[in-house]
Amino acid sequence: MKRSIFKKGLRGFWWLTIGFLYLPLIVVMLFSFNASNSAASFTGISLRWYRRLLGNDAILSALSNSLLLAVISSLVALVIGCLIGYGMYRHRHRKLGWLIVLIYLPIVLPDIVFGISEMTFFVKINELTGLLSPGLSTMIIAHVTFQIPFVALIVYSRFVGLDPSLFEAAKDLYATPRQRVQFFMLPTLKPALISAFFLSFTLSLDDFVISFFTSGPESATLPIYIWSAIRKGVTPEINAIATLMMMAVAIAAIASLWLSRRRTVS
Amino acid sequence: MSKTTAVIGRRQAIVRETRHLLFTVTPGAAWIFIFLVLPSAYLMSVAFMSNGPYGLPEMPLSLTSFQQLAGQGFLGWSPGNLLTLMRSLWQTVLSTVLVVLVAYPIAYYISQADIRWRPIMLLAVVVPSWTNQVIRTFGWMNLLAPGTPLAELAEAMGMIAPNMGLYPSNFAVTLGLVYNFLPFMVLPLYAAFEKLNFALVEAARDLYASPFKAFWHAVFPQTLPGLLAGVVLVAIPAFGMYVIPELLGGGKGMMLGNLVANQFAGSANWPLGAAGAILMLIATFIGLYAMRRIGKRLGGGEEVVI
Repeated sequence: MKRSIFKKGLRGFWWLTIGFLYLPLIVVMLFSFNASNSAASFTGISLRWYRRLLGNDAILSALSNSLLLAVISSLVALVIGCLIGYGMYRHRHRKLGWLIVLIYLPIVLPDIVFGISEMTFFVKINELTGLLSPGLSTMIIAHVTFQIPFVALIVYSRFVGLDPSLFEAAKDLYATPRQRVQFFMLPTLKPALISAFFLSFTLSLDDFVISFFTSGPESATLPIYIWSAIRKGVTPEINAIATLMMMAVAIAAIASLWLSRRRTVS
Repeated sequence: MSKTTAVIGRRQAIVRETRHLLFTVTPGAAWIFIFLVLPSAYLMSVAFMSNGPYGLPEMPLSLTSFQQLAGQGFLGWSPGNLLTLMRSLWQTVLSTVLVVLVAYPIAYYISQADIRWRPIMLLAVVVPSWTNQVIRTFGWMNLLAPGTPLAELAEAMGMIAPNMGLYPSNFAVTLGLVYNFLPFMVLPLYAAFEKLNFALVEAARDLYASPFKAFWHAVFPQTLPGLLAGVVLVAIPAFGMYVIPELLGGGKGMMLGNLVANQFAGSANWPLGAAGAILMLIATFIGLYAMRRIGKRLGGGEEVVI
């Protein structure tokens, strides 16, 4: 008897928490279809805010900045992070404590300290050399910096999960270093590389604080655009962009989940 | 003869291995060093410079920024900055405790569910955090604004003045922090609950332990490593939070992150901002170190450290 009350209470608490987690997102989605521009009352369904998005050049350029930034930074981080992840694996018997500290640094550093460090540094470099004025290039550098550790750790853990004798086998079969990379490492790494790319991509899209402090006047990304729109006074258009971004994330998540499930089956 | 070739061969192998290490590790290590270690070192040095006319750092070296951080200004001492510091600390502790109180039963509930449902339930908890932080916070602004059902309910209960929303307020910041960090606590706690050894609980029950005592002595210690990992994952980023207090807190809900950021925007004073950043770094490293120590003592060792 007592047990069943406990279980029912727990179940109720679970659904309450789920409601708490999804309520703000549902409200944003709901109001993106609101016919009036009131944030307090829902007057009817309309698509006017979505139509207005299409005519807004600032939003479209923010969207293209976001995508450009995410793709370029993820690709750079993939190459660098993959190399460092393999290096960490191959030389794991050496004392590489300093390297581990270096790799964890971008993860543990508070976002705001990260962003401001980069900003002050870029300003100083710009003052001295005229290079690296704030814009897409500085944002790419900053994003790659926080993406490298994630790629490296994913690649490293993939290698650790492999049977070490596979490396010996490839060598015993007289594979040249290039062949080993081409026929053994890249194929075994492929799933890890795909998920590392997706993770870097979403980390980049999701980032606000670091982008905010390294961006220039022309390089606002979607989160930065949304931020300044909120500061200037809430407009219902934000609900519409936010809804589209949530959809994009949901689709990406389902796709990566589906890919990983298919991989485990085969 | 053969011995010398062996030595040469070994030496060649060492050289080759070292070259391999340098080739694979250098690009990433150099990247992080140049674009993160150097910038943070520069930022820290800024804290010891004087504030120039446009808020930019200047020579000579001084400790003025730290005095300013402690509240010393043109007009004598004011408690503003110290209040902000205390508020950051208080918000961090409060939201971490609340997150634990919510996440603990949730993690337990998921670990007791049918094994087919568990990944989906975990996903359900994590998915909201994939949405951009600014958007999630904006969602709460929509919910807490004046005239919304939640605000009217609070008004009817006499908790807020008429026609005032529930934000900006310290309450809204706490709520936003709990909302933001809940998944970070559920995941490590779930991992701990999944490995829970129920034989210990049964043994405690057989020895006529009350349910509370059975929990405290048989369950809680087993979940402690997960709990500590969660506390690190929640408390450290919460202390440096910028977006949530900025949008939901307003002037009276400011936290250290906002104090620091403001020094690089409107009211520019880079040295003061850098001094605040140093404080944040110290707090981060103390937090990491403390958790590592406690984790080692518990024997959970490696898994506790992220």
